[in-house]
Amino acid sequence: MAESKQTSGKPMTLVDPIDMSLLDAKFRDDIKSMPDGEELSACFACSTCTAACPIANQWTYKPHQLIRMILLGMREEVLSGKEIWECLTCFQCQERCPQKVRITDIFFDCKNLAAESGKVPEKVLAIAKELIDKGQLYVVTSDWEREDLGLEAAVPGLSTDGIRAILKETRTGRLVKGGE
Amino acid sequence: MVNRVPVYNLYMGCSVPANYPNYEAAMMKVAEALGMEFEYMPDVACCGSPNLRAIDYFGWLVVNGRTLAIAEKNGHDILTPCNGCFGSLKDVQHHLKHDSEDRARVNKELRKHDLEFKGTIKVRHLVEAIYTDIGPDEIRRKITKPLDGVGIAIHYGCHLLRPADVTEFKPEMLEELVRATGAKVVEYPLWKQCCGATILPVNEPLAIRLARDKIRSMKEAGAEYATVVCPACGNQLDLQQLGLKESYGEVYDLPVLLYPQILALALGIGEDAVGLRMNRVAADSILGHLKG
Repeated sequence: MAESKQTSGKPMTLVDPIDMSLLDAKFRDDIKSMPDGEELSACFACSTCTAACPIANQWTYKPHQLIRMILLGMREEVLSGKEIWECLTCFQCQERCPQKVRITDIFFDCKNLAAESGKVPEKVLAIAKELIDKGQLYVVTSDWEREDLGLEAAVPGLSTDGIRAILKETRTGRLVKGGE
Repeated sequence: MVNRVPVYNLYMGCSVPANYPNYEAAMMKVAEALGMEFEYMPDVACCGSPNLRAIDYFGWLVVNGRTLAIAEKNGHDILTPCNGCFGSLKDVQHHLKHDSEDRARVNKELRKHDLEFKGTIKVRHLVEAIYTDIGPDEIRRKITKPLDGVGIAIHYGCHLLRPADVTEFKPEMLEELVRATGAKVVEYPLWKQCCGATILPVNEPLAIRLARDKIRSMKEAGAEYATVVCPACGNQLDLQQLGLKESYGEVYDLPVLLYPQILALALGIGEDAVGLRMNRVAADSILGHLKG
């Protein structure tokens, strides 16, 4: 192995040593109390999730490491990292977990915790703004195309008042206001 | 058994009507031909997508709980052609049925609008409803222009398949529906892999690489066409394919059809009625594979 040639300097490690004083034990309790966190502690770090993930090779921290980091209390590293936002939400990790840890769902919970402290990627925040302003992510612009196909120009029954009224009062509204 | 026409609360979401009216037109034609009655739901809009679930779980519960509660008023199942909407509605329904605390919190909001979530109806994806309520045998009887055994690769889309305990969808359903049209289903290694759509806002090059890997896997396995049942997946596999020439120097030329387009053509419905010309990678060669 190439690593064995190293004889001086810092010893080789797979990950940097963890500063125990920075661990936040409440982090795992926060996740456990969220809708999908019940089985969190069942993780035995087999890394099947990482093997199932189509993009884990792009990440500094792999799915099984992220779960371990949650259990250890590495709140800052998990919630400020790019990984939770790049999760495809394809649920392949969750489907294959032998311990029934709801990994993808837990990453959704992590994103909610990050959002609660205002940490949302710019383009995701732009989506939140669309939902508040327009009540939908895509708006019909080419209505002649619909008419050509025998469809009504405007989508029958469409009303965006309901969704806009709801989201103004929830975190989406607070995030959009805070971002302005 | 009384031969009753099944009626559904049609929830279109925002992407199909805005970006894929050909999908909408094809499914309406198929419904007519198969004797399914689709009624557009009143007072609804977007499901919020996984992006809303990511930043505002409670808002996502209320938005989709509201849609479900509106559908419950007439007692018909809710049906959607979009995997994103299906995933949202199905997941929220599952959660509210199992978590009485959150159900109470959501209903407190809904009661302000004289609505209540009770969990009395089912959430159906278009293809699951066609499979379960009509079935491949009945479809075969109605087909007048079967395909000639041409190879089609299926992209199911993540939120149709997983999490399986929530979506309750089996890949065999769509497989059998494709076979019922006379086409051959082409198996390919990356059949379960994501199209990449979800991460377009945060990492576009990676999203495009995932779509490209998928198209390549289909093509290498010998697929002549691909089929999808979701507007976001359609966008990734069809529209993004055009950009691969520039980003990867690769041309795949793999036409991608929405499943109801294929079914409609086999049922004898014309290509203009299903908006075949709107497909980004030219798909009209499929007409040459129709027999009869």
